[in-house]
Amino acid sequence: MAEHREETLFFQTLRRALGHPPNAARPAGDLFPAEPSAEERRLLALVSGRSEQEREEFVSRLAAAARPLHLEVQALEDLAAARDAVLRLVAEKSPEWGGEKQLVAWSHPLIESLGLAEPLARQGIPLHLTRPVDSALDAAAADEERRRQRSRIAASFIGITAADFCLAETATVVLRNRPGEPRSVALLPSIHVALVPRSRILADMKELFALLRWEERFRTEGLSNYLSFISGPSKTADIEATMVHGAHGPREMVVFLVPG
Amino acid sequence: MSAIRIRTERYVEEARRGIADPVLRRALSGLQERFGRGTAEAYRRLPEGPGLRQTAHAIREKAIAHLDILLERLARRIRENGGEVFFAATAEEAVGYCAGIARRLGVKLAVKGKSMVTEEIALNPALAAHGVEVVETDLGEYIIQLAGETPSHIIAPAIHKTRNEIADLFAQHLGIPRTTDPPRLTHAARRALREKFLAADMGISGVNLACAETGHISTVSNEGNIRMATTLPRVHVAFMGMERIVARLDEYEIILRLLCRGASVQDIGTYVSFIGGPRRPGESDGPEEFHLVVVDNGRSRMLADPRFREMLCCIRCAACLNVCPVYGRIGGHAYGFAYSGPVGAVVTPLLTGIRRGRDLCLGETLCGACKDACSMDIDLPRMLLELRAILAEGDPGWGVEPSGGLERQAWKLWEGLVSRPALYERALQAGAVLQRLLPRTPAGWIRRLPPPFSGWTKSRDFPPVAAEPFRRRFAKRRKEADRG
Repeated sequence: MAEHREETLFFQTLRRALGHPPNAARPAGDLFPAEPSAEERRLLALVSGRSEQEREEFVSRLAAAARPLHLEVQALEDLAAARDAVLRLVAEKSPEWGGEKQLVAWSHPLIESLGLAEPLARQGIPLHLTRPVDSALDAAAADEERRRQRSRIAASFIGITAADFCLAETATVVLRNRPGEPRSVALLPSIHVALVPRSRILADMKELFALLRWEERFRTEGLSNYLSFISGPSKTADIEATMVHGAHGPREMVVFLVPG
Repeated sequence: MSAIRIRTERYVEEARRGIADPVLRRALSGLQERFGRGTAEAYRRLPEGPGLRQTAHAIREKAIAHLDILLERLARRIRENGGEVFFAATAEEAVGYCAGIARRLGVKLAVKGKSMVTEEIALNPALAAHGVEVVETDLGEYIIQLAGETPSHIIAPAIHKTRNEIADLFAQHLGIPRTTDPPRLTHAARRALREKFLAADMGISGVNLACAETGHISTVSNEGNIRMATTLPRVHVAFMGMERIVARLDEYEIILRLLCRGASVQDIGTYVSFIGGPRRPGESDGPEEFHLVVVDNGRSRMLADPRFREMLCCIRCAACLNVCPVYGRIGGHAYGFAYSGPVGAVVTPLLTGIRRGRDLCLGETLCGACKDACSMDIDLPRMLLELRAILAEGDPGWGVEPSGGLERQAWKLWEGLVSRPALYERALQAGAVLQRLLPRTPAGWIRRLPPPFSGWTKSRDFPPVAAEPFRRRFAKRRKEADRG
C-alpha cells in the first residue's frame, strides 16, 4: 500500500533526525507509566475522601468562575426544582431562528427523571429525546434516522445534556460521547442546559485526568471518542476586539446543579 | 480563495506599508496593551507560579526527543478506534491526501476551523483547484477570506480590519443592510455559517495538541466553530504539525493551561474537544470518517539541527506576537507567510529558506520580550542569532552561502585596525578630520555617513569621533589622580 511506504519513509526521516537507527522502532520505556504517580495517588485520595462540606465550597467556586464567562449556574434543591427551572426558561426565552418552541434532550436517565415530557406536552411544546441509533437498521435507514434526529436538534431552541463532570476552577462542563447523547445537542440549539449532579463536581482538570487515567469506574470508557470541555456560551472578539456571545455555538448556557 | 504564497522577500516593503498604516498601528497597540500585559499577569497568577513555563518546556523537549514513539502510539490508538492516520513528508503529500478523500466522497463544500498548518501547506487553494468550496468558519478567518486576504495574527487573524471595512464586506457578500455593530455583524456571520455547517460534506481542523497515551487530538476554540466542523460533516480531516504532541494527560494538562493563557489570557478556552476517532455504532452524530494528517514539511530538518530543535517546542499560542515591538509596528503581513512575529521570524526561514527569509530574522530587535512571554519558555532570541550567524558564515546544511564580500571585508579591516593600537589611533585622527565634512544633528551626532556606510544612518545617527580619544583622556586622568 502506498500509504505504508510514505509512513515508513516518514519514520525513517524522523528517527534519523533524532539520531537513532532509522529502521528500528524504539521501546516506549517509561513514557506511558502503568501506575499512577505519587501526585496522582494524592489527587485520587483527595477526590474519594471529599466531604459534603468541601463539595459545597466547590459550588461557590464554580459560580464565581462562571460569572465572567456569562455562564449561569443555578444550584437546585431537587429534580422538581430543576424541572421548574427548565420550564421557566422555556416560557421566558424565544427561538432565535423563528418557528415554534421545541426542545431536545439526551435520552439520559437523569434528564428523563425530571418529568419534563408531561408539562411540555400540556403546552403543546415538542420535546425530542435523542435515542441511540438502532443497530438493527440497515445503512440507509440508519442514515435516515440520523438525518431526522439532526433536523430536530437543529430546530430546537433549547438543548439539554447531563454532564459527566464539572470543574469548579474553570467552570467547565465535561461531556463524554455515547450513543443517545449526541454532541450537537450542546451545539446547535441557542441555549444549552447542562445538568450536573453535585457529586460530579471536581476541583480542576488535574483531578479529572487522574480519574480518567486511573479510577477503574471511569477508566474503561476513558475519554471516549469525543470528550468535550465546555466553559460558557460560544463567544468571539474578532471584530475590533469587541466581545460578542453566540458566535457559532449556543449564545446562552445554564448549568443546573442537582442532587446526586 | 486566498492564495497563500511565500512573500518573505518583500518584508522591508510590506513592513514600511504596515508602519505607515495608522489603523493597523492603533489595532496592534490595543492588542498588545491588552494581551501583552495580561499574559504576564496570568503566568504570575498560576498556582505553580510562572516557573510552570520551565516545566512545560521540559515536557515539550521530552516529547520532541521521543517523537517517533509518541506518533506511533497516537496512530495506533486512533486506528484501533476506527480512524485513519496519514504521515505526510511534504505539503504536497498532505494536500494530496485530503484532495483524494474529497474526490472519493464527492465533497463539494468543506467547512474549516482555524489552522496555521493548513495555511502553511496552502490547503485551501489546492482544494479549490479540485472544485471544493472551502469556507473558513472562525469569524476572523471568515472576514479575511471574504476580503481575499491572509491572516495577520495567529490568534486574531482579522486584527487589521476595522468594523467599517467589515460592514462593507458583509453588506456586499451576505446581502444584509450595512451595519457597523459588532453583535449584529457577528450574528449575520452566525446565520450564514450555520447554513454552511449544516450543508458541508467535509470538516477540516488543525490540532492544538495531541495526547499519545490516550490517542486523542485536541482542538481549542471560543466560537464553537471547530466543534461544528468536527461534528456535523460526514468526514473530518485534521492536520497537525508532527511536533504537536505530548506523552500523557497530566503533561497535556500543563501545556493546555499555558496555551490558553499565552493565546488569549484565559484560564481555559470555551471549547476544548478531544477527538479519538469517528462516530461509533449507535451514535447519531459525529463524522463517519476521521482522518489525521501528520505533517513534516521541513520540521525534521529543524529536529536534526540541535540549534533549532528547541523551536519544535512551540505550540503557536502567539503570545510572542503580543509583546514584540517589531510585530507591533509592522503587523503580520510583512512576515510574508503563515507565521508572523518572533515565531515567524524563526520558523519561516527554517521552513521556506533562510536566505529567502533573511530580512525576517534581521528585522527583529533581540530585545528578549518574546522569550519572557513565551508560554513554553523558548529562547527565540538565541535562535534569531543562530540564523544571523548562518547568514554571515554560511551553512551548507541549510544551503546558505557565506554573506557577500563587502561586510566581511569591512570587518576584516576593523579587525586589522583595532589589533594595532598605533594604526588605530592614526585612523581615529583621520576620522576626526574627515568627519568635519559630514552633516551633524544639533546634538553634534553625524546625520549621514557617506556610501557604503550610508545605510546605517538611514534611520539613526552615528556618534562622532571624540575630540579627545578615550585612551588619551584616561591616561591624562590617571596622571592627575597620581599627582593628587
